[in-house]
Amino acid sequence: MYILALKNSYNLFLNIFSVAREEVVHVLCFDVSEEELKVGLKPSDTQRLHIHNAYSDPLGWTGHPNFTAQQFILEDLANLVKQTSQPKPAVLVIDSLSWILRHKTPPAVCQTLQQLRKGGAVRAVIGLLHTDMHQRGTVGSVCHLATSLISVAPGVRGKEAVARVTKRSKSGKVMQDEEIFCIAEDFTVTILSKASHAEHKTNSTEEEQADPTANLTFNLRLSDSELEAKQKLTLPFVFSKEKKTALLHPGPGSGRILYEPDANDDYDQEDPDDDLDV
Amino acid sequence: MLHNIDVTSSNMAAPVNSVGKTSGDRFQVNCTSFQKKTRSKLISIPGTRPSVQNGQLLVSTGVTSLDYLLGGGLAVGTVLLIEEDRFDSYSRMILKYFLAEGVVCRHELFVATAQDNPDEILQELPAPILDDVAVPKPVDQPRPTGEPQDSLDAMTIAWRYQNLPKVQSALASSSRFGHYYDVSKTMEAEIRQAAKCHRFYLPDHITPSSAAHSARVESYSALLKSLQEVIHREGFDLATPMSKSRNILRVGLHSLGSALWGDDMCCHDKPRHGHALTTFLYGLRALLRSSLSVAVVTLPSHLIQDRALMGNITRLCDNAIALESFKGSERETNPLYKDYHGLLFVRQVPHLNCLARQLPDHKDLAFKLKRKQFTIESPGLRSGSTKNKLRQL
Repeated sequence: MYILALKNSYNLFLNIFSVAREEVVHVLCFDVSEEELKVGLKPSDTQRLHIHNAYSDPLGWTGHPNFTAQQFILEDLANLVKQTSQPKPAVLVIDSLSWILRHKTPPAVCQTLQQLRKGGAVRAVIGLLHTDMHQRGTVGSVCHLATSLISVAPGVRGKEAVARVTKRSKSGKVMQDEEIFCIAEDFTVTILSKASHAEHKTNSTEEEQADPTANLTFNLRLSDSELEAKQKLTLPFVFSKEKKTALLHPGPGSGRILYEPDANDDYDQEDPDDDLDV
Repeated sequence: MLHNIDVTSSNMAAPVNSVGKTSGDRFQVNCTSFQKKTRSKLISIPGTRPSVQNGQLLVSTGVTSLDYLLGGGLAVGTVLLIEEDRFDSYSRMILKYFLAEGVVCRHELFVATAQDNPDEILQELPAPILDDVAVPKPVDQPRPTGEPQDSLDAMTIAWRYQNLPKVQSALASSSRFGHYYDVSKTMEAEIRQAAKCHRFYLPDHITPSSAAHSARVESYSALLKSLQEVIHREGFDLATPMSKSRNILRVGLHSLGSALWGDDMCCHDKPRHGHALTTFLYGLRALLRSSLSVAVVTLPSHLIQDRALMGNITRLCDNAIALESFKGSERETNPLYKDYHGLLFVRQVPHLNCLARQLPDHKDLAFKLKRKQFTIESPGLRSGSTKNKLRQL
């Protein structure tokens, strides 16, 4: 599940990410109207998008709302996504979670997001969250659920923005990256450069394993012929195979040793006379 | 508490030997490693030993360095609180060590989660490094004489030991306290299934739609009821007579207090349900004190904004440690910390039935998760001037 956390309510169009791939995308629009979202997108792209208008009547004040904030629960969302009847599970884009968090409690929203993630109705959930609109605990709780987190902030120069990406894998590994990017008029994203943090990591060079057998006056290594000769050496007490099997599998009549450890074996080396008091 | 032995506390600064395998990193703890011989009528449960300081029955947490910090182990009937690191990687690892130790010592497990299914955590348990852990396989029969070839090629010098089973008898596993685990491998299914495990997965017990409308947090009371029922049914609560042998119940509670438990403690600065978790911990401790069980609770404390509430929660648990991982923070580039994965803080150590606590000697502790060991040590000592090294002698 991806969560885009925006600082300072930076406007970003979410569809760029999903439209690039050939997938079915459902968009829940709370923040902006459907027309505004479609501005600038090519008609071929908008065909793959299924925009659910929750902007016009999110709280159900008219008699027939399209989608309300109260409907942000698993059953209604699953029905919504099933409407397109595609074989593959779809991607759900939520614009924005901040809007929903104002009308539902954060625990309820978190539980719904977790259910969406565990159930098979959607393949991925991309949510937009305006971090400056909520308390730190709320933002932290929602971001704690996400497997990938992208924090976007305006960059130093005009049209640039800085994105910090944190990815958590199933095995517990965490990857962090920082990139500077800018968005062109036709919504292509160009990544300008990675930020300076990445250079720090290359400084840690690997230490070479010091080889102790290297610079000695005597030779500690074996050449191949010496290795062969070593293996051919007959050791004492190496018996022929028949004698070995005879010894290993004793026939009837040979004794077995049965031993149960008794009190005399309870010998404590630090207390040989068994008289120390704790 | 259970099983008090009158011991005089030793004030000798005796040198410390590590229990079990020797590890390169040791602590200077003010106690002896002397094990009192149990000739008295104590019940002996595999995987436990009496504490030298105050006579409590201790179990191992699965991490031997953590056992040293807590005064030899975790006392039966107490709660260990682990404040999670930011991405919940190392706290989850310690929880897995705790449960894996329970499997190896043949204790029973109780796992409760709200986020991932308990089975997922159980499948990720690390594999024990087996010299002498009894594996429930049938003992290898000696090979029939028809095929001597393969077995004899196995060992050239020690061939007399070929046919001995690779596993010692069960006597060895019960006398060993604290095992080592290989994190790169997961525990084999047959070892894991030999242990009895009770699961509590919150979505199975509470439908979220009903939870959203209730004024109180129902999840904790459901958890407490489930735990009480398991303790009573399986006979951990000493109410049943001593007919069958006793065992320990290890309770692992993952990420309590997070929003997925229905609690808004982590979400709001002034939570409405601030007392839900504290009431639960009070009830949990009462339940544990009257039964043969021990609990490890992880908590995402970095999300809790109310420090007074965090203080309350720490007081209500007996042992409390906090983990802070270096991942993503600026401390990652600090040269002092380059060998470690994070810092560990001991927030609280209990004093059970005695007046003195066993606090660790060093306040600055760092941990590193290696493949075969989770080490906790003081980074200042390790970076080692010769002055420090001489003092250790």
